[in-house]
Amino acid sequence: MNYVIIGNGVAGVTAAEAIRQIDARGQITMISDESHPPYCRPMISNLLEGAVDVSRLPIRGPDFYDRLSITPTLGSRVTSLDVNARTVTTKGGQIFAYDRLLIAAGADPRPLDAQGLDLGGIFFMRNIAQVQEMIAALADTRHALVLGGGLVGFKAAYSLLKRNIGVTMLIRSGYPLSMQVDETAGEMIQQVLCDHGLTVRTGISVTAFEGGGRVQTAHLSDGSQVPCDMAIIGKGVFPAHGFVPTDRIDTDAGILVDDHMATSAPGIYAAGDVAEHIDIARQKRWVNAIWPEAAAQGRVAGFNMAGRALAYRGSLSRNVIRMFDTDVMTAGRVSPRDTDETCRFFSAADHRRQTYRKLVFEDQILVGFVMINQIEQGGVLASLIQSRTPVKISAHHLLDPGFNVSRLFDR
Amino acid sequence: MKQVIVHPERCVGCMQCMLACAAAHSKTGALISAISESPRPRPRIHVGAGRYDEGFPNRCRHCDPAPCQMACLPGAIYRQTTTNTVLINPDVCINCASCAMACPYGVIRYHADPLAPADKTIAVKCDNCIARQHKGLIPACVEVCKVGALTFEEMDAAMKKKTDQVARSMSAEAIAADHAPGFSLLNTIKRAQKEINLSR
Ligand SMILES: Cc1cc2nc3c(=O)[nH]c(=O)nc-3n(C[C@H](O)[C@H](O)[C@H](O)COP(=O)(O)OP(=O)(O)OC[C@H]3O[C@@H](n4cnc5c(N)ncnc54)[C@H](O)[C@@H]3O)c2cc1C
Ligand code: SF4
Ligand code: SF4
Repeated sequence: MNYVIIGNGVAGVTAAEAIRQIDARGQITMISDESHPPYCRPMISNLLEGAVDVSRLPIRGPDFYDRLSITPTLGSRVTSLDVNARTVTTKGGQIFAYDRLLIAAGADPRPLDAQGLDLGGIFFMRNIAQVQEMIAALADTRHALVLGGGLVGFKAAYSLLKRNIGVTMLIRSGYPLSMQVDETAGEMIQQVLCDHGLTVRTGISVTAFEGGGRVQTAHLSDGSQVPCDMAIIGKGVFPAHGFVPTDRIDTDAGILVDDHMATSAPGIYAAGDVAEHIDIARQKRWVNAIWPEAAAQGRVAGFNMAGRALAYRGSLSRNVIRMFDTDVMTAGRVSPRDTDETCRFFSAADHRRQTYRKLVFEDQILVGFVMINQIEQGGVLASLIQSRTPVKISAHHLLDPGFNVSRLFDR
Repeated sequence: MKQVIVHPERCVGCMQCMLACAAAHSKTGALISAISESPRPRPRIHVGAGRYDEGFPNRCRHCDPAPCQMACLPGAIYRQTTTNTVLINPDVCINCASCAMACPYGVIRYHADPLAPADKTIAVKCDNCIARQHKGLIPACVEVCKVGALTFEEMDAAMKKKTDQVARSMSAEAIAADHAPGFSLLNTIKRAQKEINLSR
């Protein structure tokens, strides 16, 4: 059996490991345009912060490819896929034939629509190389602009604040993390960041950048200007399937996959940020571009590719963020854009302890939550959402930070 | 291989296991001296009130596969196969709490630990007292529990099978094997229910 895996991110890595668990002899080729060993992508924000150096980022030992007898083709980008001939071709013209193909190409940052994007000092934050360029530019950075209040924008802002660089965050919506949290939590998060020197401007975006070589000024949608010598674009990501023939492989936002992570084309699978399966809380097709789901999907894809039928039960959007002394955990449907009149809400706030919790139910099924501080038991709630177990006890028990798991069980 | 087995219905809520656990994971290893240590040793087993205010000792189940392991960003969580123990490498942990979001039992805590690099906040949970086991001792919580709510024994085959089944069903990816219908029906909560019924 001849396996080809596009992408050496966590989805590709867990897939290769799963294949090897079952098939010791098949040929595995891994193609990626990044030449670093498999690394922890979320930790590039720790790299920007200066909390770790590059040597801390790999998620597997240096012998990863050897140990699993994988032939790596690194620094090489796949540009086309021929479903009939069962081959993929790289930019350099190399052709790889496959029996089983895994597309684990991850996601690309969503571009910004503004003028002057060719100036120096304007960055995306998706990989090590970009962060290394940012770090090189830090020495002459006084003030940075972060565009977007999503997870990546947020982590970028936090990392720069930790480096004592002034940061202005521009958010198109009304508060940070508006995709993940409700307004109350969003405002609490914003307050924490502002207390640590962040400037947040909501309902606004950039129209143009200006400068001589390197960016100096940003022109905003309300006609005002802000000085900046660095700008980070954090407008979200989109699945990286530009090389996929969409007339042959069903795609929506992501590449559509079934419960076995198989696409609509024979022998072709997809996993991770590039794939679109079912969201458990929303009960519809959705791309959840997060690390634990990429790891889980890669594993399921690998097993199925090697012939062991294994089903994936769907993904759950979830995130945990620690910033200064505040922790935020959120899962499922919490943002107003994800909830409607069929939902019941329960919330509790304790100003002295700086905690906030909100649970979202549909009938007896928990479909979302956000918690600020005292997050240790959040996994219990997340597993309730994932298992869609009817919650028979009062929601107020679940709001109690010290609640005991056993309260959930009928005895 | 012997495992700690929890019998919640026997627990009287005396919290002796919490003290013993904290002492066992202190620098000095003894309760009296542990009290004045810095950082303060903390328990890795958590006794809270259950639904009817009965005690419930909650500790890591060392799930296989372990949802926390799959969620860990830098790969700090691993399994020591010789003792079937899920462990966290304090040097690698970045205190991101990704594992808090993954653990269906809510048993991981975040603080400085006497056995970790100084002043570093890390994820801490039950380690099956592997240091004590190396010395031929049994886990501290079991040793101190006088009512048999915690025991250290060979898991019989039936129990092992159940635990593995449910652990599998509970991992982030569901692992619902097509050729074994019914697996997917078991879920986290059912597992815990099963655990409780099983130990009656
Ligand atoms: C700054 C930042 C912080 C994050 N923080 C968190 C967090 O806290 N928690 C969380 O859950 N998630 C977080 N994420 C998201 C998480 O990193 C992703 O969900 C995860 O890395 C997805 O893994 P993947 O294997 O699907 O794709 P990727 O990690 O993107 O790997 C895909 C690989 O394929 C390569 N590739 C793409 N196209 C091609 C091609 N045509 N040919 C060859 N190679 C190609 C790419 O270069 C890349 O190396 C964060 C992401 C970023 C950027
Ligand atoms: S998920 Fe929780 S109970 Fe299971 S091994 Fe990890 S910490 Fe232990
Ligand atoms: S807190 Fe530590 S152990 Fe837990 S997921 Fe993060 S790095 Fe891993």
